[in-house]
Amino acid sequence: MTATLAPVGPAASGQTWTCPFCPLLCDGYTLDASRPALVDSACPTAAAALAHFGAAPLAATALVGGRVGGQVVDAEQALAAAADILAASRQPLFAGLATDVAGMRALYRLANDCGAILDHVRGDALMHSTRALQDRGVFYTTLAEIRNRADLVLCLGTNPAAHYPEFFRRCAPAADAVQGREIVFLGARAAAGVAGLEGCSTEEIPLAGDLFDTVALLGARLAGRRVGEVPPVLEALVTRMQAARYTVIVWESASLPAHGALIAEGIQRLVNTLNRSTRAAAFCCGGGDGGYTANQVLTWLSGLPLRSGVHARGLVHEPLRYATDRLLADGAVDALLWVSSFGPELVPPATALPRVVLGHPGLGARLAPREGQDGGQGATVFIPVSTPGIGAAGHLFRADGGVVVPLAPIHDDPLPTVAEVAAALCARLARRRAIAGGAQ
Amino acid sequence: MSTLRLRGGRIVDPANGIDGDLGDLCVRDGRIVELPAAEAVDHEYDVSGMVVMAGGIDLHSHIGGGKVNLARMLLPEDHRINRRSDNPLELASAGCCTPGTLATGYRYAEMGYTAAFEPAMAVSNARHAHLEMGDTPILDHGAYVMLGNEEVFLRMLAEGQDVERVRDYVGWAINATRAMGVKVVNPGGISAFKFNQRKLDVDQDHVHWRITPRQVVQTLARAVHELGVPHPLHIHASNLGVPGNVDSTLATMDALEGLPGHLTHLQFHSYGTEGSRKFSSAARRLAEEVNARPNISIDVGQIIFGQTVTASGDTMRQHANADLGSPRKWIGADIECDAGCGVVPFRYREQSYVNALQWAIGLELFLLVDDPWRVVLTTDHPNGGPFTSYPHLIRLLMDKSFRDEQLAKLHPEVAANAELREIRRELSLYEIAIMTRAAPARLLGLTDRGQLGVGAAADIAVYREDADREAMFTTPEYVFKDGALVARRGRIEATPVGGTHYVEPEFDRGIERSLARYSEAHLALSYRHATISRDELCSCANGGALLPCRLHGRAERPA
Ligand code: SF4
Ligand SMILES: [Zn+2]
Ligand SMILES: [Zn+2]
Repeated sequence: MTATLAPVGPAASGQTWTCPFCPLLCDGYTLDASRPALVDSACPTAAAALAHFGAAPLAATALVGGRVGGQVVDAEQALAAAADILAASRQPLFAGLATDVAGMRALYRLANDCGAILDHVRGDALMHSTRALQDRGVFYTTLAEIRNRADLVLCLGTNPAAHYPEFFRRCAPAADAVQGREIVFLGARAAAGVAGLEGCSTEEIPLAGDLFDTVALLGARLAGRRVGEVPPVLEALVTRMQAARYTVIVWESASLPAHGALIAEGIQRLVNTLNRSTRAAAFCCGGGDGGYTANQVLTWLSGLPLRSGVHARGLVHEPLRYATDRLLADGAVDALLWVSSFGPELVPPATALPRVVLGHPGLGARLAPREGQDGGQGATVFIPVSTPGIGAAGHLFRADGGVVVPLAPIHDDPLPTVAEVAAALCARLARRRAIAGGAQ
Repeated sequence: MSTLRLRGGRIVDPANGIDGDLGDLCVRDGRIVELPAAEAVDHEYDVSGMVVMAGGIDLHSHIGGGKVNLARMLLPEDHRINRRSDNPLELASAGCCTPGTLATGYRYAEMGYTAAFEPAMAVSNARHAHLEMGDTPILDHGAYVMLGNEEVFLRMLAEGQDVERVRDYVGWAINATRAMGVKVVNPGGISAFKFNQRKLDVDQDHVHWRITPRQVVQTLARAVHELGVPHPLHIHASNLGVPGNVDSTLATMDALEGLPGHLTHLQFHSYGTEGSRKFSSAARRLAEEVNARPNISIDVGQIIFGQTVTASGDTMRQHANADLGSPRKWIGADIECDAGCGVVPFRYREQSYVNALQWAIGLELFLLVDDPWRVVLTTDHPNGGPFTSYPHLIRLLMDKSFRDEQLAKLHPEVAANAELREIRRELSLYEIAIMTRAAPARLLGLTDRGQLGVGAAADIAVYREDADREAMFTTPEYVFKDGALVARRGRIEATPVGGTHYVEPEFDRGIERSLARYSEAHLALSYRHATISRDELCSCANGGALLPCRLHGRAERPA
């Protein structure tokens, strides 16, 4: 144990901070809260996300009305209008769901009150991994295991640093790791100058056909089956995987095409085959914008993952039919509750349905203009909410599944959290039911 | 201030030596009190003819955390068939072998249980476990942190560090994760599997760290004992499920060298290799050893026929068993240099020789261990079967003819030859009350739970007498949690947030410097997030009561 470590606690030039803006949830970098910006990470994702916040809390007001610059209202009026929309809906959809554990806990209660269907803004990508897991299972690994064990990292069809910029630093080999590490980019570019690759050898190998074909080919060869023409570099890769002590196959659910679940199953087969003789595991990059968090919380509360509905007849899980786009296109829902607390960029999908939007303060101005309606059909209520890790504490799940990272606010925020708004809506709906019940 | 009286019940309260005495039980503000018979109370319940016990306590049930949630995700088929309750107090929550946390709380409470303990909380997954337990309504809860496979611990052992230092580490880990105790799972074996080792016997070397499971068990048992943690080291021994594992189970008992140890799901570790199938019951041999060793307590991990899912930290054994799973799919993971996870669906079949024998072995253990204070009733939910099968299990233990009927339905060789046939013992209500509340409370150090003496928490279950013990224990007439009526005849009446039991052993904080260094060099979470503060625990646990448990040997100490 050598003293290679930075001091524990706030650094002189800023504060250690936990970044909520991608599921790596980096908690070792320093934030200059006065800008705010990271001091010791050049992560472009974090920089872009932080640009939507100031040194002080953002001022924001609730809006009611159908268009940009809708009528400014106070918080109580906004809650009342939102409750109107939910109470009038026969089948609401809760989507976006970019929030933290507390937000999902409260939204599940609200979903029970209104019989909602729940999907996440990254639902399509999440379903690749969820459906593969439901059909075959998975063998996965986590960042610290990669740091200490991986001698071969195979990035399949993606350079994880493209969307998870600090990926390679977060799983960089431990200082006293005995073995070296080879990183193979299969069907992806090994971008130069990425931090965390020091001391690792990198190599690019082209796909043989598309990603699906390549995974199938690797699977066949690992299982010892002969298959037509195999490019020599892939044949050599198979040999390296078999000889490696711990192969990690990194893939990214959002980069897969429509039949992504089949590729995910193929990756799982590679890992299972390797594990009969040596050690291997998969690492799926995904679950951003609170996607894994929403999936975990919904699963433990209800027993079923995202794309489930809380109906009067019971819980229903429909991994394909309950996709946001499909529900809207099918006219299967009649109101939308959209939650996007990490930034102003995740705007709700185009729809003429009445909508309640809980979002970053900047999201209000981005809501698509609508033809003149206020109230009733097509109504919009925008309620600005606090961002976990900026204006509020919270918990999020890291990309590797089991690690929950606490978030601390960098300043006091007058805005309510998603959990508080959802709880306030529950209380209003309960009051209405009580009044309606009393009137009978 | 609120008061209630349960009038004229038959009180079965083994912790206070009360066996069926007729009497009243009074409660004020959530605690059991003595009230004059004439004093008016806010609520009076006529429970004449009914059996009154403390609320049930499940000391080993996988109710929350990473692998339980993975089991839910793996088996949507377990959750698809569901019906929305007509009870507005219940939020929608589905599943049989791994129900959602909400359903878990409701079903336990309806059955008369008021506390359950998650036995396998990974260090790196502690927040997740507390979040799920916090969303398990009504029940008090707590967790045992899994130690004995973290690279940092194995490294300390390999380096031959002082016992005091290792003890400080264990104390730190319990505090950091807000645990109620320590569980060791396949000592050293989860780590060994990461180094591609497929088997690890009690005296075999870990391929990398060159330490043995015996050392791991010894070190942890001693640390837990010296730290004053009331619950003995909770041990999931080596070689789970392997024919002939009785030898490693006995070697594990020996490794304790007389220190307290709790061998969990012992059924899965009680196999011999006799007979033509090389798979036999070693229950008698083990029960005799347990009888002879007062430092040992056990829970059984009874299997129940039907579909379930096994969720364990024992990656080495789960990987080996994955091909036996049904349906054929499974989840495994290597986790953060401290743990592993294996989730394998399983269907226990009456006509399978192995499953039938496992069933018989579990019951033999229950019935051959003499002292009920050292046997806790569990199915290792969901690994042997779901907790909702406890009433059925109770009937098997209390009713010899029912047991024989069930045995007759099994694989013919087992039905004809199992030692279980010869065992005449039928457990009494008193013994059942010990195994389901008094003993687990005592083994956990919960002085004011699992009993009905004055001052105890008013966690109470009231059962209508029924010769069919399964029916009786399925639907208690009343269930009270801290004095509040939470279930009545199988219907939820209130859903208070449960409390979190945990211990706070003392340790030398000097250990933190080297742990921080290790963390920076090897782990992936900032060391400042290694410890869950009380405030954070409270938010994870949904604002439920924090219930720090008194340490052994600490109360007497001058402040
Ligand atoms: S990699 Fe992700 S978590 Fe880390 S700093 Fe960048 S955006 Fe934040
Ligand atoms: Zn176990
Ligand atoms: Zn268990």
